[in-house]
Amino acid sequence: MATGIISRATHALRYFLLRRLPTCKQMSVVMSESLERRLTLRERISLRLHLWICIWCVWYLEHLHIVRDTLRARAAQTDATDTAAEPHLSLEARTRIKRTLGSNS
Amino acid sequence: MSQEQRAKDPQAPDPSAWVDEHGDYLYRYALFRLRDSALAEDAVQETLLAALQAYANFAGRGSERTWLVGILKHKITDHFRRISREASVPQREDEAFVDENFFRTEGEWAGHWRAEQAPSDWHASPVALVEQGEFWLVFQNCLGPLPPRIASAFVMREVDGLTSEEICEVLSIKVNNLWVMLHRARLHLRHCLELNWFKRPTDAH
Repeated sequence: MATGIISRATHALRYFLLRRLPTCKQMSVVMSESLERRLTLRERISLRLHLWICIWCVWYLEHLHIVRDTLRARAAQTDATDTAAEPHLSLEARTRIKRTLGSNS
Repeated sequence: MSQEQRAKDPQAPDPSAWVDEHGDYLYRYALFRLRDSALAEDAVQETLLAALQAYANFAGRGSERTWLVGILKHKITDHFRRISREASVPQREDEAFVDENFFRTEGEWAGHWRAEQAPSDWHASPVALVEQGEFWLVFQNCLGPLPPRIASAFVMREVDGLTSEEICEVLSIKVNNLWVMLHRARLHLRHCLELNWFKRPTDAH
């Protein structure tokens, strides 16, 4: 019984916040900028509240971090190893570059 | 310098050996950032040409590859700089790329995600994604439709981790402008990746 009241109250509070707080569209800008600069206190509070009521934005922010971390990991990997079987300079390009270098030395 | 002279002088550079030893490496480095094989090949060629001319300054100090990558980085930055300059009316090109409407435009929930465009759980980890070759194809295709300036800002920021100041200098833009560009890139890319990778119909990843 008591839990029923609490869950209804939480639901009402979430609904209230969702109507009053900045929208997902506005928060998506803030979330992107959270990767660029330190947010203001006001932004941090409204983001925290928004993420409490909106799972879509929770995922959005998570995705921004996944994309960044994946790209940086990839960059570190390409920079570190030479064994990757992936893109090679084509024979044609290789020959052309050698020829150009030869005529310029 | 003739072949004979070069053979006699151990200090002389051997650009042909550079191509064999470092060519693929430099090419991959450039391709990941420029996303175009012809541009990447050109960058490698320009790098080795510049290296040949500046060889006296290097003269065996440190690793040859590190030195070459350093030159390549500059060549790539120059390319981004050129893209930005060549967009003579920069704004027009960027505006031609119309953001999809991810958010409701009317009704009680205007400004909130449209249900069919809303993010979902990816169940993904960067560690696992890096290893999946096909993911990178999808990724390249998703970056494709972005205006070159926006794509290059995104690459400089997310791949190379350059600071806002550095990127603004290269692209001659203000920091607010950069943030808007990054935001648009992320909105588009996230949606495109979700559609074409994380929610593929086969679901076989």
